[in-house]
Amino acid sequence: MAKQGYRVGVIDTDIQSPGIHVLFRLPEGTISKTLNDYLWGKCSIKDAAYNVTERAIGDIHEDSDRPQLFLIPSSLKTGEIARILREGYDVGRLNDGFQDLLKQLNLDYLFIDTHPGVNEETLLSIAVSDTLVLLVRPDQQDFQGTAVTVELARKLGVPDMFMVVNKVPADVDPTALRTHVSSLFGVDVAAVLPLSIEMAKTASGDIFCNRYPQHPLTLQLKQVVARLLGQPQA
Amino acid sequence: MTSSSEDREVGLLLGRMKSAAAPLREVLREMHSRIRANEDGQVATYIPELAKSNPNSFAISIVTTSGQVFEVGDCGELFSIQSISKPFVYGLALEDHGVEAVLGKVGVEPTGEAFNSIVLDESSNRPFNPMVNAGAIATVDLVKGKDLPDRIGRLLKMFSRYCGREVYIDNSIFMSERITGHRNRAIGYLMRNFDMVTPQFEESLELYFQQCSVLVTTHDLAVMGATLANGGKNPMTGEVAIEQTCIKYLLSIMLSCGMYDYAGEWAYRVGIPSKSGVSGGIVGVVPGEFGIAVYSPPLDSKGNSVRGIQVFRELSERFGLHALDPGSKSAMRELFGPTHASARKS
Repeated sequence: MAKQGYRVGVIDTDIQSPGIHVLFRLPEGTISKTLNDYLWGKCSIKDAAYNVTERAIGDIHEDSDRPQLFLIPSSLKTGEIARILREGYDVGRLNDGFQDLLKQLNLDYLFIDTHPGVNEETLLSIAVSDTLVLLVRPDQQDFQGTAVTVELARKLGVPDMFMVVNKVPADVDPTALRTHVSSLFGVDVAAVLPLSIEMAKTASGDIFCNRYPQHPLTLQLKQVVARLLGQPQA
Repeated sequence: MTSSSEDREVGLLLGRMKSAAAPLREVLREMHSRIRANEDGQVATYIPELAKSNPNSFAISIVTTSGQVFEVGDCGELFSIQSISKPFVYGLALEDHGVEAVLGKVGVEPTGEAFNSIVLDESSNRPFNPMVNAGAIATVDLVKGKDLPDRIGRLLKMFSRYCGREVYIDNSIFMSERITGHRNRAIGYLMRNFDMVTPQFEESLELYFQQCSVLVTTHDLAVMGATLANGGKNPMTGEVAIEQTCIKYLLSIMLSCGMYDYAGEWAYRVGIPSKSGVSGGIVGVVPGEFGIAVYSPPLDSKGNSVRGIQVFRELSERFGLHALDPGSKSAMRELFGPTHASARKS
């Protein structure tokens, strides 16, 4: 999305098991403030936002307005994860943070990465989002959990919702799977992502689309971006 | 878990998320950060315990009749309810004795006198209304019970039904009220002279000091307001706190007499049945819609919270909350549901 020329934020609200920061390979010691600090009132949300444009997109002039990519990580410290799980936090403050990020960083898009399952962060994110993207593996357990999320999302009145089926084995017919999943949940399927050895080998050590720009998986991810942008899909 | 209790659980959870995502929260945040800069007013000092209040404390809470909660600031901070207790105790007296019997002891006329004035209606010897101290003492004298502990228990249970949690009396505030309550005792003796209170009025004075010392938060007050707005049923617990038939009497007195000697201008400008207290709280009721509560200790010369008045005036003007305004009240309702990011930016 950022490569299409937008100002994009990615916030990791998976407080109990944070991880998205790994993809951006920020040097040790770079992250001083996190989402946890914001939720505890120790800093503004902007203080916990890190500009990762150069790492994610490459040679971009620092002063250019677009594209820009910002990462808002959750704390990796065990004590801080334990504290927020034990004490909880004001879920309204999380939404205040989303709104402040949009305004203060002048974002075109804010991606909210949530815990895979129903919890407060997930529900709040659904309630406040324009589009809910549900990632699901072709797996009965995943299907069951996703059914609950879809039901709650409908009750929360999310304006747009679509699914992405992930880690689909090569011998599965993607068209039949797409039809099956779509009718099972009554939700549009925007992409079917193939199970990829290359992705496994990348092991979150890099941004996959940068390393494999022509890979079928990358092409499918571009379909997801096109869907989000409201562009016609291939 | 039965399907109805499941639905209730899901409804409460989703309601909480909708509230957190609703644009009203943004409106309240902006209002809170702007009005916080207003440092006018003085913290009440007439009893030593109140003088210890933090003048920077500031909270706004709105609770709807469907149980949605919108809050900003120090909404969990406890403070003594003070005069805000008066309409609720009046409701208990109405339930205990009925309207006519209560009217025989306490009037319903606004007065230009100060809240603690030692004056009764010359023609009837009744206190003017239940919102001035004289009227509140005569009102609490009507609360039934076999002895003082039983009456205190009934009062606390009533407040607990309104708040949806067990409430307590702050002993140091109670003692402070009691030690310095000579003026209220004088009012009690004057009313005893005219036979407007029972021979047990000294016990009732104790009860009065206790009712003023109940600890609440802004959240509690907004739930109490929402309970009145909801026909007497607490929207958070479903428990009935007061008979619906009594509510119109409470609200009409709150509208005409609830804001000390600012009550006339309040009814004119704000038009929300409300009650303020010297600890810095104000509770307001928009019938059928929601309860509003503000807490900020610095008071103006008339004994009302400076920031509280400003919040209520702005909310009323901006969202058409005046009780006598025939215009729609939907402006605020539209802010209860989530508005999504793209709509906010445009």
